[in-house]
Amino acid sequence: MNIQVELEETDNKLKGYIHGEIDAHTAPVLREKLEAYQNKDGVNAELDLSDVDYMDSTGLGVFVAFYKSVNAKGGHVKLTGLSSRLKRLFDITGLGDIMDIESVGKGGN
Amino acid sequence: MSNQSSVEILTEWDIVAARQLGRNVAKELGFGTVDQARITTAISELARNIYLYAGQGRIEIQQLTENGVKGILIIAADQGPGIPDVRRVMEDGFSTSGGLGAGLPGVKRLMDEFKIETIPGEGTDIRATKWLR
Amino acid sequence: MVHKIENQYKEILNQYMQRQSEQNLYVGQNFSRQLISENISPEEVISVHKAAMQEIYKELPDVVWHSFDFLIEMMINYGLALQERQSLLQRQEEIRVEMDLAANVQETLLKTKLPALKGLDIGLLSIPARKMNGDYIYFISDEEGHAGIAVADVIGKGLPAALCMSMVKFGMDSLNNSPASPSEVLGVINRVVEKSIDDSMFVSMFYGRYDASTAALTYGSAGHEPAILYRSKTGEFDELYAKGLLLGVSPAAAYEEHTVQLEENDLVIMMTDGVTEGRTDEGFIEREVIFELIQQKKDEPAQTIVQHVYDELERMQNAELRDDFTLVIYKKV
Repeated sequence: MNIQVELEETDNKLKGYIHGEIDAHTAPVLREKLEAYQNKDGVNAELDLSDVDYMDSTGLGVFVAFYKSVNAKGGHVKLTGLSSRLKRLFDITGLGDIMDIESVGKGGN
Repeated sequence: MSNQSSVEILTEWDIVAARQLGRNVAKELGFGTVDQARITTAISELARNIYLYAGQGRIEIQQLTENGVKGILIIAADQGPGIPDVRRVMEDGFSTSGGLGAGLPGVKRLMDEFKIETIPGEGTDIRATKWLR
Repeated sequence: MVHKIENQYKEILNQYMQRQSEQNLYVGQNFSRQLISENISPEEVISVHKAAMQEIYKELPDVVWHSFDFLIEMMINYGLALQERQSLLQRQEEIRVEMDLAANVQETLLKTKLPALKGLDIGLLSIPARKMNGDYIYFISDEEGHAGIAVADVIGKGLPAALCMSMVKFGMDSLNNSPASPSEVLGVINRVVEKSIDDSMFVSMFYGRYDASTAALTYGSAGHEPAILYRSKTGEFDELYAKGLLLGVSPAAAYEEHTVQLEENDLVIMMTDGVTEGRTDEGFIEREVIFELIQQKKDEPAQTIVQHVYDELERMQNAELRDDFTLVIYKKV
């Protein structure tokens, strides 16, 4: 039931840091915060998930919706610091192939 | 038979004047302390709505007699923006969840009869009656 | 009526004023319950209190009576809050009844016929976390021994997920072709879902086609939790992974398919993430735990294994289901 979302935007570069659990209870909080940026043109977003210790499919839904709208406006979304558990979730769902994700302990993609 | 008087609502202090007028009339008609408090609370809510959303308007208090029963009629009228979604505003939990007070459902509960007419862009006219039993 | 209450209240109050005993307070508490059941508002209670005090202690100073009038004014909004609560409770009850009806409709709508195939024992269980189920099992079969199974999970729970699932069902109905290949089926349903739903709603689906004459299972996955193959000969568990994106994300998504040959007593375990994402106070329930549960009952009929896994997982999570739970086991016999 706890989540912290910090978002900071300068010159269309959106830096985000998310801490806590993303599930059916907390996902609406995250969605609302991200929605403020998803309709801008060409947003370059990088969200750090290294302190997200749990995420379920509802959380996944939030990121995909964000990814889809940002992409449609010519922007880019990158997720960094994925734990092995989160990485598996993105791999199984096939989202790892279409989204720019980076897991913990690796340099590039 | 009716006997009327009214207060223009322009500032927050006018809400107090409208309450005072309503209380005097209610007392004169013979309403008890609890009903006086209910009637003035209803007036407060209506006057506050005018002050907050329409900017200005008028609260009118009338004494009524129908089939030998006495009553008090509150009319709240303004030429403000009107209420776009009346059904929503009349729903329980809509105004209270935002901490805006009892809202219109509250006024309806405090009084015996309640009627609202609102036209977007033209204004709102609310009439609420309480009978002396 | 009001008069009767006034007299009773005065009596109870008077007793208390004389003795201040716990017994008197207890009587008062019981009386308050009666007031609530008769819808007496807080402001009326104070008014009754004031009237009783005026009768018992006529000569108290005016400040006391004024204070009660002030208190009545204070209580008006509490009285309104109470009435509002009662009306909201009533509305909640109406919604509950409506949800029950909707859940029944859903159950009828999503009913699917278990195929009877030579050499295949099927066990299944699907339990919603709330009233409506966002998980779905669908079978298509024919006389030639082909049977398709779809295990799907809508992201999200409750009513929106259930409505979305109905759409998947109609997509499957329109397909109605049991020998169709998994990659074909997933491609069609992907386009149905992509066209019709909201950006944050997705469906994951596993599709398996079994051919009874060759005991071959061909499978594909649209972002779904991989099915598990248990090999009876070696006692090993393998993931049946097939690449494929969630349904509804991109109309261009392509779906891989693979085929495995089932041998006697092999198990194919298909499930939704409600099975694998279980959590206890100590943390996540690891997949190994689920494998162990299956192994304990591997010689029993498929339905017994499914029930055992559910019962044990439910016990570990103190009977609390966080997500819809769906488990299907194919056993080659």
